Amino acid sequence: MTTSPSSAVRTFPLAPTPRSRWRVARLIMWPTIAFVALLVLPWVVYPPIAMDIAAWALFAMSIDLLLGFGGVLSFGHAAYWGSSAYLTGWVAVNTGVPFPVAILIGALGAMVLAVPIGMLSVRRSGIYFAMVTLAFGQMIYFIANQLSVITGGENGLQGVPKTFFGIEAVEKESFFFYYAAIPIVVLGALAAWRIVHSPFGRVLSGIRDNPERVRALGYDVERYKLIAFVLSAGLAGLAGGVYAVSHGFVSLQEVDWTTSGKVVLMTVLGGIGTLWGGPIGAAIIVLLEDYLASAGFEGIGIVTGLIFIVCVVLFRKGILGTILAFVDRARTGGRGMPRFGRADRLAAPDSVTATNTAHDEEGNHAPR
Amino acid sequence: MKSRTVPMIAVTFVSAAMLAGCAGGPPAQDGSALSDGKVVIGILNDQSGVYRDLSGPNSRVAVELAIADYEAKYGDEAVATDIEIITSDHQNKPDVANTQAQQMYDRRGADIILDVPTSSAALAVAEVAAAKKRLFIDVGAATMELTGAACNPYTFHWAYNTEMLAKGASGVVDNGGESWVIIYPDYAFGQGMNASFTASIEGAGGTVLESIATPFPNDNFSTFITRAAAQNPDVIGIMAAGGDLINFVKQYNQAGMQDQAALAVGLMFITDINSLGVEEFQGTTFTDAWYWDYDEQNREFADRFLQLTDARPTFAHAGNYSAAFQYLEAIQRAGTDDADAVIAELEGAKLEDLFLRNGEVRSDHSVVHDSYVARVKPAADVAEAWDYEEIISTIPAEEAFSPVNSACTM
Repeated sequence: MTTSPSSAVRTFPLAPTPRSRWRVARLIMWPTIAFVALLVLPWVVYPPIAMDIAAWALFAMSIDLLLGFGGVLSFGHAAYWGSSAYLTGWVAVNTGVPFPVAILIGALGAMVLAVPIGMLSVRRSGIYFAMVTLAFGQMIYFIANQLSVITGGENGLQGVPKTFFGIEAVEKESFFFYYAAIPIVVLGALAAWRIVHSPFGRVLSGIRDNPERVRALGYDVERYKLIAFVLSAGLAGLAGGVYAVSHGFVSLQEVDWTTSGKVVLMTVLGGIGTLWGGPIGAAIIVLLEDYLASAGFEGIGIVTGLIFIVCVVLFRKGILGTILAFVDRARTGGRGMPRFGRADRLAAPDSVTATNTAHDEEGNHAPR
Repeated sequence: MKSRTVPMIAVTFVSAAMLAGCAGGPPAQDGSALSDGKVVIGILNDQSGVYRDLSGPNSRVAVELAIADYEAKYGDEAVATDIEIITSDHQNKPDVANTQAQQMYDRRGADIILDVPTSSAALAVAEVAAAKKRLFIDVGAATMELTGAACNPYTFHWAYNTEMLAKGASGVVDNGGESWVIIYPDYAFGQGMNASFTASIEGAGGTVLESIATPFPNDNFSTFITRAAAQNPDVIGIMAAGGDLINFVKQYNQAGMQDQAALAVGLMFITDINSLGVEEFQGTTFTDAWYWDYDEQNREFADRFLQLTDARPTFAHAGNYSAAFQYLEAIQRAGTDDADAVIAELEGAKLEDLFLRNGEVRSDHSVVHDSYVARVKPAADVAEAWDYEEIISTIPAEEAFSPVNSACTM
């Protein structure tokens, strides 16, 4: 290390060092931890709750993809989670195809829906983007409410079967269903991870940090944001489909704005821009709500609201973000690395943000 | 460093798991055996939201009274010697209701789930009951679907439904309220209520001048009130419930409509009258499934209830009492708490208690009983707290509910 303790100027080692080994280790570590946790989950908590956690986890990752890496907050993501849930449910009820197929159709439907909405939304950013997406989310809500032929309106769409190649254990027992459905969630999570760690993801991060400069470099900012939006909607759709099949019905709650709010809460709680923080937030919120529901406590909203306030006031980076920052600080002894979780919170393309600092070893590849 | 992160994650997950308070794992072979010497009654309802007052924690009190009455009646001969109550909050969300119901049956050993207001939540629980083959008696929800297309052998619908609510309208027509304008929120419940009320009014010889759909939820009803008033009806029927109903009634009175047309409310609980004040509702007619001050038997129950809760029971509370009591009676007759044996005792049974007058369990598992056309008293006539209603007429059980639902196939 060449850094002098008193110097405020960042310098980076040029040759591979323990830092890059650590980086690679962590790159593998997070997916591994998440994967093992997913496998163990139904042994530790009640299987239907475990399935809920997995579905919400993927949903939170889809939000983080937009919020943490695209820098825009979608406040209407329930539209994709919910419309996919309805489409999945409708397909499963009416065609009797195995549930993974129904879920894929549902997710595709959500992506198709996201194209026109995204085209209109991505022209704005910040609070305007959040408001526009919220408005579209509410539109979907009222359409679902009125379209009672398909959605069942207020009563909901009942009797979604867990058709799975005639394997009765999966169709009847939530414990085995969990293992049949979890590959879908894992694939969705891996897709999110891959998107973030691709040249595309790095352009996205660049747009988050400095859209003008990315535009100046010749990237079509709107198109990148639109693609990210549609991909995110697809992930939300996958999660919504899993949720619908797991519960065996779809209700208006799935397209309600509170669902959009809940998933944002999970993402913020876990840590924006960490990708794996969302699942932690999802686990905490789902378990807490489940526990409070049967604990005879009469103010669930008060507790989740308080947690949110505490998180925003004390842990601005969320749970995982705080842990990562702590680990970073411990590792560098309070020097170096000013940003937490560098490996996960990807740097923008080198040419976008690099100014007068030396390149880090990743920065030599220009995004394609 | 990795070694420090891993324990942290582990701690997060373990503490989260402890929060859950229940173990996971593959399904146990036996679950909770139905003949485990214990009857567990689960109450799943809204403990924190808009339906808290009309069901909520007080439903538990009603069930406790039912258990006390059952034990007093049978003493040492009681089959159900050890009765436990568990409760859960479904927050009016069907997905929460669904997982909570599964947990109640699977992990907390519930033999029966009671109450469950909110139609979508009730339908979600009915599905769980059918899958787990345990009883579910719905009291708090209104939907016809429970005993229609979504019916199943393990689900009973105890207190009321949308068509029964509409039967009161014919009583109003008989009392001179012949021309109606109906204002209804434009979603499944409101549309169902509009259809039921229109059929009931026309069946009794009245006319519906106009049915006006409003957005749901809605805050400002003034244009709809003006439009309804322009028709000059005898009666304006409002099918909104909860907060929308309160808003509507306030605006209706502010517009000075009380003198122009009588107000009929589709679904009203006595707690609605209590929270908004009897002045706001005076003269309003509605269908009531049960009223606490109807006779001595009801009053005695209401007094016990008042001592424990500082409130008079709604018909949903009385319905929960009745459902729990009749369930325990069925266990007594069957000699076991096995779900199928208890259902066999309930099916087709003629039941009598303070809630069920001329009660009968029909083949679609709708439990029919006498119901009442009620009118809210003028504020000047209110003698004591909760003395809000005057029963105009009784609708006999066979007329109060429409015929067995042909959409139901079990």
